[in-house]
Amino acid sequence: MLSMKNITKVYQTEKVQTHALRDFNLEVNEGEFIAVTGPSGSGKTTFLNIAGMLENFTSGDFMLDDVNVGKLSDNQRADLRNQKIGFIFQGFNLIPDLDLYENVEVPLRYRGIKSAERKRRIEDCLEKVGLGSRAKHLPQQLSGGQQQRVAIARALAGDPRFLLADEPTGNLDSLMARQVMELLEEINKEGATIIMVTHDPELARRAPRNIQVVDGQLADFTLYQSRESGVLVPEHANEPADKSAKAEV
Amino acid sequence: MFTHYIDLAWRSFKRTPLVSILMVLAIAVGIGITMTSLSVYHMMSMDPIPSKSSKLFHVQLGTMDDGEEWWTEDSLPQQITYKDAMALYHANTPARKVASMRSGFTVHMNNDQIKPFLESTRVTGRDFFAMFELDFLYGATWTTQQEQSAAPVIVISEQLNDKLFGGENSIGKEIYLDDSSFQIVGVTKKWNIHTKYYDVTNGAFNDPENVFMPITQIAAMELPSWGNTNGWKFEEVNTYQQRLTSEVFWLQFWVELDSPQQETQYRDYLTNYLTEQGKLGRYTREEAFFGLRNVNEWLTYNKVVSEENKILVGLSFMFLIVCLANILGLLLGKFLRRAPEVGVRRALGASKGDIFKQHLVEVSMLGLMGGLLGIGIAQLGLWGVRQTHDYYSALATMDISMLFIAPFIAISACVLAGLYPAWLVCRTTPALYLKTQ
Repeated sequence: MLSMKNITKVYQTEKVQTHALRDFNLEVNEGEFIAVTGPSGSGKTTFLNIAGMLENFTSGDFMLDDVNVGKLSDNQRADLRNQKIGFIFQGFNLIPDLDLYENVEVPLRYRGIKSAERKRRIEDCLEKVGLGSRAKHLPQQLSGGQQQRVAIARALAGDPRFLLADEPTGNLDSLMARQVMELLEEINKEGATIIMVTHDPELARRAPRNIQVVDGQLADFTLYQSRESGVLVPEHANEPADKSAKAEV
Repeated sequence: MFTHYIDLAWRSFKRTPLVSILMVLAIAVGIGITMTSLSVYHMMSMDPIPSKSSKLFHVQLGTMDDGEEWWTEDSLPQQITYKDAMALYHANTPARKVASMRSGFTVHMNNDQIKPFLESTRVTGRDFFAMFELDFLYGATWTTQQEQSAAPVIVISEQLNDKLFGGENSIGKEIYLDDSSFQIVGVTKKWNIHTKYYDVTNGAFNDPENVFMPITQIAAMELPSWGNTNGWKFEEVNTYQQRLTSEVFWLQFWVELDSPQQETQYRDYLTNYLTEQGKLGRYTREEAFFGLRNVNEWLTYNKVVSEENKILVGLSFMFLIVCLANILGLLLGKFLRRAPEVGVRRALGASKGDIFKQHLVEVSMLGLMGGLLGIGIAQLGLWGVRQTHDYYSALATMDISMLFIAPFIAISACVLAGLYPAWLVCRTTPALYLKTQ
């Protein structure tokens, strides 16, 4: 479903070359909920941006639903992103001038969905996140947790195959973070594939699958969490690049 | 999507009202000034009689000695002598033709109810009205017989008829020109010409005359010329009769030639006429030399639209460019501040083209608003121009085509100024802003 092979991302300035990702390999199957952890600057967000086609990669192969992303034009990527991917950001990234209804409507407009169908989807999604009655509110009239739920509704409105979440609870207090996490789990149970970058080990532990990025590499192992025990169980192990990073998971 | 972009543009306008109003004002002032000068230029340079401009020809005759120079580009005098005018007028050529000159009188009603006033008069042939498409409100032009006998008949304009008779049908009534009484045989409708093309030697943008009388009155009444009189050699011109037979240029001559064949025939006629005149010893020029220019060629030949006007239009466009440079700076600031929102839109599926179009619609809307306000400023400017001199009363106006052109120029100019900022903002890397918002 999502396959990255030997993905490399190099940021080039006049004097410095920075390898954000190097030989990054990952396979994601349909319906998975993956938590991506790792130290700051390790390449988690770069990985997420490449997965979401917001950034180009320098080399390697990236297949998304059998489509070779590396061969797509910018406009084709925008179309594919619009159809298959929903984003949830740490800072919510709602457009302040638009009310909740219009914010959720944004990806649907770019997809060219007709007005009546848009209305149905928006109302469904806002209901789903418990904000159906506040469709005409502006983002600044909501709490952080509510704003993140709107962002989730916006991500869901296009009925995407993937939800990419970058620190979705990073700006929320623990109660709201838990509510958002529960919502994501519910969405995952309904079939959406979720890749979530987080710094929060507790949240990571709730995800069925954990991966760690260290120094731009999928560092050491892929963990599957036992739903019953809550204990992380190694599925298979690559050669670790950073032993200490492994211990943090 | 277009209406959605308009909605977004309006929201953007409201979000930063001060900057938006500044941009609209900048484009409005630029458009206002540009349209003011462009409107005057447009009225000056427009075809004054589109339906016939290619069929009406002004005649110039080279009746000066070989080597004599005139200040025109080809050294041909703009006017002709009385004897040539009469010869051409009475020639047996099939074309409709008129000689004419500008004279003038004190107009009064021989009573104390109307204060006498000076009025310039066009002394011309009876075909003048048909040739130059001057329609009649009442009556018609004088008859051939009245013209041949120099009968005291005149045609007056609607404005003069309003002034003297309160707009009533005045056919058959009499008015006084100086000490002579004249019977009115026709009243012309208001003549909306911006360029007095039939006589550019007396001010190409002056108002047309309000009184018209037969050409034969020149000799009969020994009419003074209120126009230009030019000579090229020393002559004894002490009596009016000497003036009529002199080589002095003081009349204009026009012919209407409906086809290229007629034009060729008339050229042949002029060649023969001038050859004959040369043989009579009037001038030392062996080859016939004449000018036959249609209306637009005649206006260009006389540089009716002066270089100064063109420079003024150029300067006003440069001012518009300065306004656009300011708008470009403001747009850059406004659009780049919106880069984070653009990042979100890109992440949610907007292509670069979508973002580019959204911003172009926004600048187009600013251009439209600026253009509409600019029309108001241009009207104010044209009103100011009209107040400076009567000369500009017909010229300093904005016709329907200019009314439509103004918003078009404003939108095009704004789109031009907005291209770079829109291109810049649509190229922003979305990932750069998504984390930092």
